[in-house]
Amino acid sequence: MTAAPRVALVTGASGGVGRGIALACAAAGWRVWIAARRAQEGEGVAREVDAAGGAGRFVACDVADADSVAAAIAAVLARDRRLDALAHNATSGLSPKPTSLREVSLGELQDHIAVSLRGAYLLARAAHSPLRSARGAYLLLTSEAGFEGKARLPIYAAVKAAQRGFARALAREWGADGIRVNCLAPLASTPAMERAFALDPAMQARVLGRLPLGALGDPIAEVGPAARFLLSDDARFVTGHTLMADGGSCPVT
Amino acid sequence: MESAKRRKGRSGSRRSSARTHAEALLLAGDAPETRALAAALSAEWRAAPASLDALEEWRARESAGATCARVVVAMPAREPAGALRETDAGAWFARAEEPIARWAFALGVAAARCADGGAIVAVVDRPAPLDCAGFAPEAAVADAACALVRSLARSEGARGVRVNAIVTSARLAPSQPIAPAPALASFPGTYEQEVAGAVRLLLAADASGVTGQALAADCGRSW
Repeated sequence: MTAAPRVALVTGASGGVGRGIALACAAAGWRVWIAARRAQEGEGVAREVDAAGGAGRFVACDVADADSVAAAIAAVLARDRRLDALAHNATSGLSPKPTSLREVSLGELQDHIAVSLRGAYLLARAAHSPLRSARGAYLLLTSEAGFEGKARLPIYAAVKAAQRGFARALAREWGADGIRVNCLAPLASTPAMERAFALDPAMQARVLGRLPLGALGDPIAEVGPAARFLLSDDARFVTGHTLMADGGSCPVT
Repeated sequence: MESAKRRKGRSGSRRSSARTHAEALLLAGDAPETRALAAALSAEWRAAPASLDALEEWRARESAGATCARVVVAMPAREPAGALRETDAGAWFARAEEPIARWAFALGVAAARCADGGAIVAVVDRPAPLDCAGFAPEAAVADAACALVRSLARSEGARGVRVNAIVTSARLAPSQPIAPAPALASFPGTYEQEVAGAVRLLLAADASGVTGQALAADCGRSW
């Protein structure tokens, strides 16, 4: 368990894996900013962070918008004076929607890119200075899809892979500043996964059928602690890495 | 014994009578290296549009063309690299978002144009992991393109189409690679030599069991 309380910001934390990361960090006494577009849900998770032993704050944030990202980071610094840990978990609402490269529209493609990849870039630009001051950590939530591709979710797989390449290069670029950059590839039981199962009924059997540990991960108990590790000083010598928290699902590492 | 599925795959698609006469079709971004690659492969060179706004119309038009047993896609990086904190929004768009969109649409065309039982090879500019500082957008594009290749290998495999990638740092190598030195003195290689040779390898029938792979043709700089 990490000793020193840290200040963390987690995007897309109003539910699912982001909420799990926030609550796992709360259990270590961290101050956790819930950055999300949905205020009601985000403020609810901030209260859960309080209840779990941390200090929760909510900030409205659209990760695809430069001004919104800059304002979110500014809000963190104005109140807490530092930022030790940044986790980019938000993904496009189109993530579970099946498509193909022969038919995907430019608009759909750009929505995926804007949230997953432009968001990663805007957050990096806005948070570089405070992360350097704190010798902090930047974590990108990728997916096993980014390793092995997906026949029916090719754009989702592409942006998740793009995050890995981005993180690998940024880890080398930011190492001299004392900032670590890593990825986490979770496979968890979330509302987004439930939507994906609903859109592709055969997917549930495919996903569960190859899981050595037999079940999807719990976002709070099984995925959140892995993220907290990478964001903490316990991982101070880990950078440029992708950690799989997928119950052994992905055959490629 | 040859399986029925394989025989069906080799019989060609509905549009097989309209196959192109070139040995391969090259869907490419406009760069001297891609023209050299087309010459080395005796491929018909078809340019992808530079503008994002033209991609949907281009995909629809090109997808209706004649099928080909061998399709190569090359979307070389076009913008100068640099540290992320010095990369403004316009440069980010040009270095990351626009290229990923071009890759997605070009591979969509490749799927449509590749005959049943054929092969698609993507030539991906990727900075070698040792040398990737300052290339974060390009590394993102490269990994995205390789994931698109794997996704396409999955979706097109049912009709016998193989899809692979050649990754090269020919256009993204720093002037002074950090130690240790690349394994081969020919690093970073060229499109017309090292890349073309690796493309031929993956297009050939000898690679009939290879799909969804990203083969580094970077003179031993990454493994």
